[in-house]
Amino acid sequence: MQYELSNKSKRFLEDLRVYLFSSGKKSEEIDEIVEELESHLVEAEQHGKPIEKIIGKSPKDYMETVADEMAIDFRTWFKYILIIIFGAFSFTIFRDVLAGNLSYSLLEIVGHLAITLIFTFLTFIAFKYISSNNFSNTVQLVILYLIGMIPLGLFIGMYFLNESIRTPVIQFGETGSMIVAAITLLFVLAISIWTKTGILIAIVTLLTLPEYLLSKTTLNLETQLILSSVISFGGIGIYLFISSQLNKDK
Amino acid sequence: MNVQFKKGVLELCVLVLLDKQDRYGYELVQKISDQIAISEGSVYPLLRRLTKEGYFTTYLKESSEGPSRKYYALTEEGRTYLGDLLTDWEKFTNGVNQLIKEGVRDE
Repeated sequence: MQYELSNKSKRFLEDLRVYLFSSGKKSEEIDEIVEELESHLVEAEQHGKPIEKIIGKSPKDYMETVADEMAIDFRTWFKYILIIIFGAFSFTIFRDVLAGNLSYSLLEIVGHLAITLIFTFLTFIAFKYISSNNFSNTVQLVILYLIGMIPLGLFIGMYFLNESIRTPVIQFGETGSMIVAAITLLFVLAISIWTKTGILIAIVTLLTLPEYLLSKTTLNLETQLILSSVISFGGIGIYLFISSQLNKDK
Repeated sequence: MNVQFKKGVLELCVLVLLDKQDRYGYELVQKISDQIAISEGSVYPLLRRLTKEGYFTTYLKESSEGPSRKYYALTEEGRTYLGDLLTDWEKFTNGVNQLIKEGVRDE
């Protein structure tokens, strides 16, 4: 016989799942603990016990206790970071290739590479540091946010510097541009296969392709701009919605 | 009762209860809350941690009353750990009892 949980318990389990997910826990581990708690709640309710008896007075406190016993899933974090870095890179490169041949100043090239290296290095150090120390979740997140802010600051600095300092500009001819684009494409595909998600491909395509195709039309520039951003962001929205629905069904 | 202290005691209770037989979550929690006031859900995070540390193994078993139950079984490592904890506990309670005895006599 299948017992239906009370709505209050269902709500709590759903909240717990979201809370643990947003604290960066592994999804299999979340499933496990939520399922176990669910079967406990079923049995407790059959014996007429209120949910307060099980999770204590404050659901929030209880969620924190559960979260503290679970390790943060660094591999997933690392995946997200890689997706973000390569997303930014490939987006810039594809857009520029579609707009014409690539040309970057020396400062831009060196800067991008240096910032990526610094960022990757810092991230590794931070993860090692965090996982070998017993920090609270808040401290861990603060460290990760700070690390995340560093490249952002460096990029902004680099763009300003690029405006004020003239460095030699490197022109990639047609062949050169194609080679760079092909290498980027390979990286994007490799990362998508490794992380088993099409999100990078979807977002980069949606951000670059509509703009390019519209520039081939005879529409005036303003209409092109509006249309391309509507298609890009609408498309990304739809993509995220569909993939979250698919995930739910799994 | 002090939270940290209670956590340690809870760990001992869980290990003791699993020494003779395998049990599933709800059963464990009931056994403990019959004797000590706890918030029932707090046992699960603890079970997770002890499992991860290799003191328990788990297996699923069908139940006629609802979803299948996850049973916990003590490993050899867990048994050794339980032994250590019991020794600590005995020393600790003896010490506290001694202090209580002396304290009460002085009054």
